[in-house]
Amino acid sequence: MAAISVHRFASCITCHSWSPDRSMVAFCPNSNEVHIYRLSEDKWERAYVLQKHDQIVSGIDWSARSNRIVTVSHDRNSYVWNMEGSEWVPTLVILRLNRAALCVQWSPQENKFAVGSGAKTVCICYYEPENNWWVSKLIRKRHNSSVTSVAWHPNNILLATTSTDGKCRVFSTFIKGVDTRDSEAGASVDAKFGEQILQLDLSHSWAFGVKWSPRGNTLAYVGHNSMIYFVDGVGPSPLAQNVLLRGLPLRDVLFLSERMAVGVGFDCNPMVFAADDSGIWNFIRFLGERKTSSSSGSKYGSQFSEAFGKFYGQSRQGTSNDGGENSRHLGSVHENCITCIVSLGELGSSSTRRFSTSGVDGNIVIWDLENSEDLLEFL
Amino acid sequence: MANSLRLYLTCIRSTLEAAMCLQNFPCQEVERHNKPEVELQTSPELLLNPVLICRNEAEKCLIETSINSLRISLKVKQADELENILTKKFLRFLSMRAEAFQVLRRKPVQGYDISFLITNYHCEEMQKHKLIDFIVQFMEDIDKEISELKMSVNTRGRLVAAEFLKQFI
Repeated sequence: MAAISVHRFASCITCHSWSPDRSMVAFCPNSNEVHIYRLSEDKWERAYVLQKHDQIVSGIDWSARSNRIVTVSHDRNSYVWNMEGSEWVPTLVILRLNRAALCVQWSPQENKFAVGSGAKTVCICYYEPENNWWVSKLIRKRHNSSVTSVAWHPNNILLATTSTDGKCRVFSTFIKGVDTRDSEAGASVDAKFGEQILQLDLSHSWAFGVKWSPRGNTLAYVGHNSMIYFVDGVGPSPLAQNVLLRGLPLRDVLFLSERMAVGVGFDCNPMVFAADDSGIWNFIRFLGERKTSSSSGSKYGSQFSEAFGKFYGQSRQGTSNDGGENSRHLGSVHENCITCIVSLGELGSSSTRRFSTSGVDGNIVIWDLENSEDLLEFL
Repeated sequence: MANSLRLYLTCIRSTLEAAMCLQNFPCQEVERHNKPEVELQTSPELLLNPVLICRNEAEKCLIETSINSLRISLKVKQADELENILTKKFLRFLSMRAEAFQVLRRKPVQGYDISFLITNYHCEEMQKHKLIDFIVQFMEDIDKEISELKMSVNTRGRLVAAEFLKQFI
């Protein structure tokens, strides 16, 4: 079984993030609070409640090394929470936004974080020790609509964003005094702050959920037109691939290794994508087992009764509530749209087998690929 | 159920299933607001192409989708004037009690008899397939309801007329 732990924390979860040692989880129960639960003796108990925002919290990220939590909310504010003694102490970040903040992520070196917003801007925030506050620098006039997702390249300079104008963009976020120019990062790092490296115009609909592969060679993002896009060689000559899905659109994506990615979304079931030896990405399979609809015909086991059951199921479809089409919703681990997927791998490792998902149904599910032999070859 | 009605409803059901992919989305135009984009229509990039499903000229269903909301407008079959007035009165009765239905819009979209407005909050509280079932069930029942009303009006008319004419025998 791929899902090793399912726990229902709230009626709806907007986003979640794990503590560095994976013993605590922070999530927003679709309100203005952030709840932190701790696992003690196989039971989840609430350890902290972070109350500072006054509208729904849209993004949480818990830094792996420095043990700081950054939260952003629709109330246009962002807080960085530090553990002092036994309490979480908030520091207000002046984002200088006039619309809701939608997503947040710490940079790999944890000296900066990026906030995407409904003001069609991206804020890059960094700490100024002389003033003892977080300063925000804005990337303006690049996006034509809300920024739905941000992702940091492992080199700590490049930032990928997706927006509801359907485009995926890559920016340089080099900040003098915070970043150092080292030679190994390559030519693309020489760009100034806010310079657009790349604009991908592949999707005709809204784009969500952008992620880099662990080494930063591949970029993946999803479109609301039920497509997932993989882009290799981000730079002057990118190589893009589209994979069309049969089902409903995805919301977020996560790389498990350079050759394997998992997409989650409105189908309520994680989908595994992998690249073959020639680098062509394909849909492999759904991760959660889905109970096949056991219609009335199946218990007879003959071909005739199977056909009869199908016919019977079809004729009932319009009238009864438990028609054949609906049964699939009950078979998967998540019962509603999955909105967030977080890696549970070791820091800095290039592949992981474990990740967690949360969604509108309020479940946080931990997945492990240990028993999925067919998928382990891609790790 | 008539075969063509079933096809019509199946088409609506699958369209709704694809369209009901909604999410929380704050307003881009007004600070600290969160409104159904399909009603505001301020940012064209947040709206999807509307889908119109027609069974015939008198019966159609318009599905308009945006990033955080979905509007379904129905036109119900009205064969004669009696059906026309019955539909109008019955749907007005429902629209006036819109808060009891949650997803019902108080006023239908122009050119339609009744409209539903489904937002991301409804999808968070309720199960998506139950919502779709409700809409489809509603469409199925409304025709039945109207024809039953028509029948009882006619029966009552006949009875009253018979009673009245008895005195002249």
